Amino acid sequence: MSGFLFLLSLWQVCETLVPVAIGLVIDKAVATSDLDALLWSGVGICVLFLVLSCSYRFGARLGFAAVQWETHRLRLEITARSLDPGGVVDAARTGETLSLATSDTDNVGFALRSLGYSLSAVASLAISAVVLLRIDIALGLTVLFGVPLVLVALQALTPVIARRTTRQEQAVAAASGVATDLVRGIRVVQGLSAEDEASTRYRRTSRHAWVAGVRNAEAFGAMVAVTSLAGGLFLALVALLAGNLALEGRITIGELVVVVGLSTYLTGPIQVIGAISAQVAQALASAQRIVDHLQSERRVATGEAQAHGALTWRCTTPELQSEPGELLGIVVADAGRADALIARLAEGDPDILAGGVPLDRLSHEARRDLLVVNPHRVDLFEGTLAEAISPPGGSSAEALSAALEASAATDVVALSPDGLAQRVHPDGATHSGGQRQRIGLARALLADPPLLVLHEPTSAVDAVTEHRIAEGLRAHRHARGSDRTTWLVTTSPALLAVADRVVLVDAEGTVATGTHHELAEHPTYREAVLR
Amino acid sequence: MTPLFPTADLRTTTRASLRLVATRRWPLLGAALSFLCVGACALVPPWMLGRIVDIVTEGGSSITRPIVAIVLAAVGSALFTALSVALLARAAEPAVAELREEVLDRALHVEASALEASGTGDLLARVGDDARLVADSVRDFVPSLINSVVLICFTLGGLAALDWRLALAGLLAAPFYARGLWWYLPRSGPRYREERIAQGQRAQAMVGALNGAETVRALGLQEQQLERVDQRSGRARDITLGVFVLLTKFFAAANRAEVVGLCAVLGTGFWLVHEGQVTVGAVTAAALYFHRLFDPVSALLFVFDKLQSAGASLARLVGLAETAPAAPAVPPEQHGALELRGISHAYVAGRPVLQPTDLRVAPGERVAVVGATGAGKSTLGRIAAGLLPPTTGQAFLAGHSYEDLGRRGVRSRVVMVSQEGHVFAGTVLENLTLGRPDASLPEVEAALETVGLKAWLDTLPDRLDTVVGDGGMTLTPARAQQLALARVELLAPWFVVLDEATAEAGSAGARDLDAAATAVTQGRGALVIAHRLSQSAQADRVVVMADGAVVETGTHEELAAAGGRYAEFWAAWTGA
Repeated sequence: MSGFLFLLSLWQVCETLVPVAIGLVIDKAVATSDLDALLWSGVGICVLFLVLSCSYRFGARLGFAAVQWETHRLRLEITARSLDPGGVVDAARTGETLSLATSDTDNVGFALRSLGYSLSAVASLAISAVVLLRIDIALGLTVLFGVPLVLVALQALTPVIARRTTRQEQAVAAASGVATDLVRGIRVVQGLSAEDEASTRYRRTSRHAWVAGVRNAEAFGAMVAVTSLAGGLFLALVALLAGNLALEGRITIGELVVVVGLSTYLTGPIQVIGAISAQVAQALASAQRIVDHLQSERRVATGEAQAHGALTWRCTTPELQSEPGELLGIVVADAGRADALIARLAEGDPDILAGGVPLDRLSHEARRDLLVVNPHRVDLFEGTLAEAISPPGGSSAEALSAALEASAATDVVALSPDGLAQRVHPDGATHSGGQRQRIGLARALLADPPLLVLHEPTSAVDAVTEHRIAEGLRAHRHARGSDRTTWLVTTSPALLAVADRVVLVDAEGTVATGTHHELAEHPTYREAVLR
Repeated sequence: MTPLFPTADLRTTTRASLRLVATRRWPLLGAALSFLCVGACALVPPWMLGRIVDIVTEGGSSITRPIVAIVLAAVGSALFTALSVALLARAAEPAVAELREEVLDRALHVEASALEASGTGDLLARVGDDARLVADSVRDFVPSLINSVVLICFTLGGLAALDWRLALAGLLAAPFYARGLWWYLPRSGPRYREERIAQGQRAQAMVGALNGAETVRALGLQEQQLERVDQRSGRARDITLGVFVLLTKFFAAANRAEVVGLCAVLGTGFWLVHEGQVTVGAVTAAALYFHRLFDPVSALLFVFDKLQSAGASLARLVGLAETAPAAPAVPPEQHGALELRGISHAYVAGRPVLQPTDLRVAPGERVAVVGATGAGKSTLGRIAAGLLPPTTGQAFLAGHSYEDLGRRGVRSRVVMVSQEGHVFAGTVLENLTLGRPDASLPEVEAALETVGLKAWLDTLPDRLDTVVGDGGMTLTPARAQQLALARVELLAPWFVVLDEATAEAGSAGARDLDAAATAVTQGRGALVIAHRLSQSAQADRVVVMADGAVVETGTHEELAAAGGRYAEFWAAWTGA
């Protein structure tokens, strides 16, 4: 940062010296018709521009790179926090987090850069003050005190205008949000023949945004006008003072040129510094949002305890227990309660014990190695099909094909001539719901955790394929001698039929246990698994 | 991503932009005049400073008049600046709004088959990023552009007014500026496009990871996902840094132009003063004029840069807006059957997913389509709903072919609900009346009652005014689907195509959805594609498909007893 500040300050000083040089040339060469002086002036101006050009070029690059690297790092931190194994209480929506990682980090980066430019603009003011003080004390003092005074006045005004601007910008953003929302649901819109109505609705928001946009521009125009007025009036004041000094013969023509040239030039740095407070205020708000996100509370309680291998898993309410190697069917009569049970497993509820250790006492690593709670909603990540299902360390061709076989996903591979190398698109444009569900299941099987919790893994699959999956699942995880445990939270009879044991849970807790066939006569069970 | 929607060429883009602004002639004219006044005001200070120099050298006594002129110019400049920006916005903002409205309108009316091929990505980018970029540049850069051009022209004029030889000396800088631009623009343009693509990929990687955060946590995929984001973000950063290096080199070229021009003006001034042709004050004014040019020229070059990318976006918007508006719907009046005759389909030539098939759905008849995944059921459904034109064969509604009716004519009578429901950001009421804006409140409540959402509605804090979707309450997939069915009920079409409309419900919710689907298809012709055979058991007729062809047809009872494919499905379904 220091190199960047030094170079940029040097650049600003050079820029400031340009009007001084013009004054000198007019004074020493043009007014006197001294050819030697003119030649030396030419050399001087060339050197000045060389330093000016180089210092800007390298200083700006240094600063820009520093800011780019910093925003990149922030972006990663923000994403990492959202993916943290601890989870996020009050999870922000993807769009909000994305705007944290893009526009908010950009705001911070932009303000950092502006801050650098403002600091170097101060150097420019300082060098001007020195030059002006040497020409005339009163003039120098006027600039020294006048400029900060003008700045303070501008600072008082700009935040008022900036605040107004922010409000208008929200209306514009809202219109853009409506447009993307409608296009996301375009298949629904077209399915309902609602294109015209949707268009009309957007028109309404867009009109609103346009009115806001005009007001926004008015505010912006006013801000620019005020700044330019301040610069202009200040110039007039300096010209008045310097002109009178020149009339009285106390300063030379060249010095007069330097004074007015400098004052004209100084309006630029004044504007840079003038704009900084609004930018900093905006950046601070962005930084606050980023900090809030990074320091947000974790949802998943975590401890230090270690545990590994095949364990007895237990849950106290509802009462569930399984031994290593068991395929346990769990039928929850109420869908909402099933979701809650899955959430408790995923979030490390202390009521659930792994080999006697409450889940919230386990370290993240231990928990990650012990169990996978496969969400019902299948999220696929872009890449090839093989990449989409392989665990982080990768997996062998045999393991891949075994998992695909077990989840009846071999036909997904066969569908495309590219086979396992076919592209998987994150928005699911390329694969149907049933295909995605089977890909997700293959991925969970490949992860091969001691306890795998599956939640309605076949809801989008036809009955015959569902049977194949049930058999495949059994063969893949529960071959003779296997110590893998699977908890199947489902109401599908095809899946329940292959479970070692099925537990029926209703509002009171666990009400019955037995095989699928034994429970077939239980009225609540029949009601729950009945199609 | 291959943009499949058209991008306009320069001429079309210019013509369309002119047409859009032409309707706002008065504010535009006012803005132009104000910009001219700003330019004129900007000339006053250097000119007056030159006068002061002359007054001093000529031994004058008062500089009050030039100072008053500078003050007046400052006030005038401020007033006209505010006025010009405001007036320009009055012309440009509505124009931009009109353009983005047209773009969205065309995007919404885009052919379903084009959507199938390209996905919504390109459309999303146009109505979102491109529209925003154009709006922003109109607000931020266009005033700066006009301002700079006016200032430069006026200052050159001012120089010429002092002495034509001084102006000529100043113009010596022009070829150097031109050379800089000539070098820079062809290099930066592609890099900016590259940057935009890289930033898009960065966003895609982040959205993917964030949307799938639950899965990432469940399977411990953090490192893998972060690595991807790191890689994409790093690439975007490197390209951005590369473009900036170009930009600083370009500024160095601008510095060269400045030094050449400045030396030329001072040298010429020296010679002219020496010859006694101009005053020292005039040379002072000329040098100050030239020095004042630095800022607007830099601003202009900078704006040039920004306009390049805004121009690309504008071309993409105009390209979409200029596509022909959709033809109005011509729905058939006389109720009749939905008939598919010999329809087949191949997404990729030579790989048919649907063999030539005949199917007739009578008014009020409920036909279920059953089969394993990949049997061609969804393709059949899409063709029946008029969303996909068949490769061979024809579809008819009440005796009119789909081509004659037009896709909107078909869709006003045949409505499809697929697995992917979308809840629009807005109130429950707005979501429901999307298809029928004129629906009354009792009608809406009745539709919710039909699909079994009445009880749920009563639990909502603001009932029909509860905000749902992005930014509001999140609905479970089952609720979203029931809402979709309620929309159909309100629309009251002749035929309904349900493509796995009840699959995503999870467990017990599926039965509510089954009931809702049954209620909505009551009394209507329906083509129900379902894995849940509870749907086919209630159908008037069941069609079984395998490998793109119909293999069995009959009632549920007939087929279940026949011992064929359907019997196999049924046995698997009931867990027998």
